[in-house]
Amino acid sequence: MTAVVIIDALLLLLVTATAVAIVEVRSLYASSILTGIYSLLMALVWVNMHSMDVSFTEAAVGGGISTILLIGTIVHVGREEKPIKKRLHLPALIFTALTGAALIYGTLDMPRFGDPAAPIHHYRVPEMMAQTVGFVNGTPGKQKPPEGFDLERYRRFDGRVAGPIPADPKDTAWREKSILQTYGLMVPQVRAAHEPHAEEGHHLHPPDDFNGHVPNSVTSLLAAYRGYDTMFETTVIFTAGVSLILLLRRPRREGYLQPGAVMSDQVILRVVTKLSIPFILIFGFYVITHGELGPGGGFQGGVVLATAFILYALIFGRAALYRVVPPPVSDILAGVGVLIYSGTGAVCMLLGGKFLDYSMLNKELPGDGESLGMTLVEYGVGITVSMVMLTIFNQLAEERST
Amino acid sequence: MHWNEVVCTVLLALGCVISFSGSYGVLKFPDFYARLHAAGKTDSLAQVLILLGLVFVTPDVLTQVKLMMVAFILLIVAPTATFAITKAAHLDGLRPWTRGGGQ
Repeated sequence: MTAVVIIDALLLLLVTATAVAIVEVRSLYASSILTGIYSLLMALVWVNMHSMDVSFTEAAVGGGISTILLIGTIVHVGREEKPIKKRLHLPALIFTALTGAALIYGTLDMPRFGDPAAPIHHYRVPEMMAQTVGFVNGTPGKQKPPEGFDLERYRRFDGRVAGPIPADPKDTAWREKSILQTYGLMVPQVRAAHEPHAEEGHHLHPPDDFNGHVPNSVTSLLAAYRGYDTMFETTVIFTAGVSLILLLRRPRREGYLQPGAVMSDQVILRVVTKLSIPFILIFGFYVITHGELGPGGGFQGGVVLATAFILYALIFGRAALYRVVPPPVSDILAGVGVLIYSGTGAVCMLLGGKFLDYSMLNKELPGDGESLGMTLVEYGVGITVSMVMLTIFNQLAEERST
Repeated sequence: MHWNEVVCTVLLALGCVISFSGSYGVLKFPDFYARLHAAGKTDSLAQVLILLGLVFVTPDVLTQVKLMMVAFILLIVAPTATFAITKAAHLDGLRPWTRGGGQ
């Protein structure tokens, strides 16, 4: 029993208790607060597993903005759950039991938590682990590059095969001589199995994706390796915003700006809000921009940005918010974010690469091109997410006052 | 143990004790305002102590500065949130508990 397992067990116990409480509690208010608590506990579970990006997303999206939006919904639907006849609904029970059984059956195929023999520890991750910020830049206090390590060549390496390649595909000696292999960045058996057709001038794909310029492996995976997935995730959020506008937006009646209760007559709230909003915005942009260096990225940063606007609206009223971000602007920006993402992909195509092949953005230093492309993409995600969240909030609040 | 680990342990222990006393107060105190009083005050102090304790065992300066910034911002924001909640409850018409009266 290690400390990790004990903490995990305690946290999961709390998570289960919270889940039961969410179902049992009749008050919808209490239930949505419990949902926030559930998300925060899950964020702690992710921290315990050292997956900081997931944890950050869970805390920002699950614990932060969804709680706000859930409470905004409760204002419309009433605080109490409708009483239901407490009787057994057999089809529902069977369906739930089957789904649960299927999910448990699915986990049987997964490697044990922390299993060193799991495929993820042998394929890709060793390469990504070898790429740390400190190592690449030689920052003091971080890991130093080994003696004789050619930093410049490392930075410029774009995965191109340097010498002639033997005809026998089983002869992998040439790979072991390449610079990445020298510093433990390639797992030759894996590479040989996955790239049997490498020839001179051919791009070795994985080092090309993660050649040390985007040190956060999660961002590398999400924005490059799984770039399509992330693009369509952003599109899903955009679609959610559009659907909400179509469902809820109607011609404005008199008094649509009337707030439920404006807190701007509270000096403390006013001052602290004015003080903290700049920091929240800076933090949001920091999270988006640093998505490639540390935990964070477009989704988390976008949510943080949205909370700054929502806080402003809560304290100073929506009339003030609409002077800062008029609804047409937020509507358009929600689409602009998706456009930035897909546009970056299209530019890569125009420059002669594949869709979302960021290395085309800078042919001299393909790694820098990837870094630039991922930053652009993160900003696209961030803009869409923040503006859609803001639109949802605005629609819920507007619905209230009309 | 190096001196900084000692300082860290003392601060963390203090933070945990204060945090625990807050949780105990939330369970024991009679009404909403008193419970929030317990939760808000102890949380603000406990988080500062815990984050300061972590500063002493963090090797690099950037992380130390970040931890101190988090502590400072929480020191301003957490009491404000408590204030907002109490004010909202007060405006909503919730009367404080008094010995023998009301409720």
